[in-house]
Amino acid sequence: MKYLEEYRDAEIAKSLITRIRARATRRWALMEVCGGQTHTIVRQGLDELLEGAVEMIHGPGCPVCVTPLEQIDKALAIAARPGVIFTSFGDMLRVPGSHSDLQQVRARGGDVRVVYSPLDALALAQHHPDKEVVFFAVGFETTAPANAMAVWRARDLNVKNFSVLVSHVTVPPAVTAILDAPGNRVQGFLAAGHVCAVMGWEEYVPIAARYGVPIVVTGFEPVDILEGIAMAVAQLEDGRHEVENQYARSVHRQGTPAARARVQQVFEMTDRKWRGIGEIPMSGLRLREEFSAYDAERLFGVADLSVTEPEACKAGEVLTGRIKPRQCPSFGTQCTPERPLGAPMVSTEGACSAYYSLVKHRAAEQAMVAP
Amino acid sequence: MCLAIPGRVLSVRDDAGLTMGVVDFGGVRRDVCLQYVADEVAVGAYVIVHVGFAISTLDEEEARRTLEVLREMHLLDELDAMTASAEPPSGDAGSGR
Repeated sequence: MKYLEEYRDAEIAKSLITRIRARATRRWALMEVCGGQTHTIVRQGLDELLEGAVEMIHGPGCPVCVTPLEQIDKALAIAARPGVIFTSFGDMLRVPGSHSDLQQVRARGGDVRVVYSPLDALALAQHHPDKEVVFFAVGFETTAPANAMAVWRARDLNVKNFSVLVSHVTVPPAVTAILDAPGNRVQGFLAAGHVCAVMGWEEYVPIAARYGVPIVVTGFEPVDILEGIAMAVAQLEDGRHEVENQYARSVHRQGTPAARARVQQVFEMTDRKWRGIGEIPMSGLRLREEFSAYDAERLFGVADLSVTEPEACKAGEVLTGRIKPRQCPSFGTQCTPERPLGAPMVSTEGACSAYYSLVKHRAAEQAMVAP
Repeated sequence: MCLAIPGRVLSVRDDAGLTMGVVDFGGVRRDVCLQYVADEVAVGAYVIVHVGFAISTLDEEEARRTLEVLREMHLLDELDAMTASAEPPSGDAGSGR
């Protein structure tokens, strides 16, 4: 596929690894923010190939993983109601709530459907005027424009039976929360490329300056990640701390203005609780008052649900990079993708699922070569 | 949700006030909302698509430049490696570079 495969070139990747290793005079600790980036790093073994020169600390860039348990429970409560068609992205289905998950709700008769786009959910509402269609609007700034458009469109087309359960978070406040945390070891960041495709990178300039950390907007293919790391290491070795853009083919300085404008029209900033981190002020999005008719929390009266986290799941420590997934005592034993204790093991962007796939893959390889 | 991929715009249309298009992803075609990049796209342009929406345009010139830089870097590294292995094993430590 054009503009994808070229960035998987193994020879170029090897050159970048050699250069990074040659340039680093000490071991640097970098954080890649986005779960998609974590998956590439773990799957390709980039962290192992850079051992000694760079440590990759995995960030909280998995919106499903940072969604608080009570939001999941709200989704389950709504999905179980008769007359509701509950729609979400595919990897939400097996994210565990306190007692259940969407897949189990479906098995017990709930109308739960996977959609690719929020516009598909809106179309369902138009085709089933007798049902209440709810879309689980989980995501970072990358997904907010799509969700904003679905709500905007619902109003334009006067669709009365469509609503969204919002769980939107934004990246820059999470980056500063990580930098402010006592014992922080992160010295530079690979910023989430597709978040920046929408938002541009202006928000990171004051962060780089205030905290003295390089921030490199980075893509998702192996060559992108390695080039991003090379740029960050060069800055660290030079004593610079600027925002640079590795993903220039997709990220423009101003982002996509029309997308940002629509998000601002439909949503406003709010305080949000991040699973494993706690509440971060002004780190999330909620529907503006004039769109309250599309707010599923209000419509279904689930706004005041509150829940305590289960002990065994160490998602919080994984999401803030304090431990690696395999350091969690439940990893691979009590907690697997088939029976997850928390979201990071089941989300396509979760760090735990990335490590689990790698472990399984390696075990399969060994089984093949064993006599 | 950060997963988005580049695709090529095959056609553009208006769908009751919303700009939509058919985008090709290496042979797979999907209907995509192009509203956010409507001012910049035409048939043949590349866009980055996330959950059925074009969230930005792909700058082909920039992509070409990035790859050129990377390939040049790799070529230099190859030449370095070749030069290093081509040096005569005479014990003369300073030869070559």
